[in-house]
Amino acid sequence: MPDIIEMHLKLLFDLDNLISDMEEPSYKKIGFQIEEEASLVLIQKRNDLLKKLPAEVAQAYEILKKRYRQAIAPVESEFCLGCFQKLPTQLSARSQQIVTCPNCGRILYWRKKEG
Amino acid sequence: MNLASLLSKDRVNLSLKPGKKDDVIRDLVYTIKKGNDAELIVSTLLKREELGSTGIGKGIAIPHCRSLAVEKLEIAVGRTNKPINFNSIDKKPVSLVFLIIAPPQDPGNQYLITLGKIVQIAKEITKKNLIQKAETPEDFITLINGIEKNLTKRK
Repeated sequence: MPDIIEMHLKLLFDLDNLISDMEEPSYKKIGFQIEEEASLVLIQKRNDLLKKLPAEVAQAYEILKKRYRQAIAPVESEFCLGCFQKLPTQLSARSQQIVTCPNCGRILYWRKKEG
Repeated sequence: MNLASLLSKDRVNLSLKPGKKDDVIRDLVYTIKKGNDAELIVSTLLKREELGSTGIGKGIAIPHCRSLAVEKLEIAVGRTNKPINFNSIDKKPVSLVFLIIAPPQDPGNQYLITLGKIVQIAKEITKKNLIQKAETPEDFITLINGIEKNLTKRK
């Protein structure tokens, strides 16, 4: 998928995890100082990010998030790490389209090797 | 999981360049990841900081988040010779920073367990005035190991 869409999707995904951690009782128990309006601020930020995505991608992300909590999944050794099913070999990391897992439907991304 | 086992000496920087809070966080993140992955982590960490500083007081901060840029729990530690402003809870500047990044899903929720453990260790460090004690990364890891063992014994 285009790099900019991938970056926005990853930011959105990390932000959604941040929101769910903030609401986690075991996180609250650790005792970090959190501003009162924190979750409202985060929700506003995630909605702003959602608007930066093409409408159909944003819609797919929201549907998948409701279904699985984790709407996007990495590919490793030709496996979707969302559902752990082997992916057809014709799926390509270089595709400029959004690629979804044929089994679970999650939006896929390929981890880039460092170095 | 033993905290000292998660720390390697190349992730302990005892002469971290002092600067603005964002720069110090970025420098530490780059000891773990580079490029777009590092910037993704920095972005999430800074969003977390906007909700309330992770400066827990008495010179220590513990920035943390989950990010899909990492595949396992990653920890880095930095110490600055000149304390930096971190908007901490006690308004005092910070010279010791523990950075913790976890993958979105981690077995047994190690992220929150480790985060809680680091908070306890940080409190021991401040109580015993040990922030500047370690002279080398190896010393620092040994120090953390000792504190962790004492905390476990007390339980």
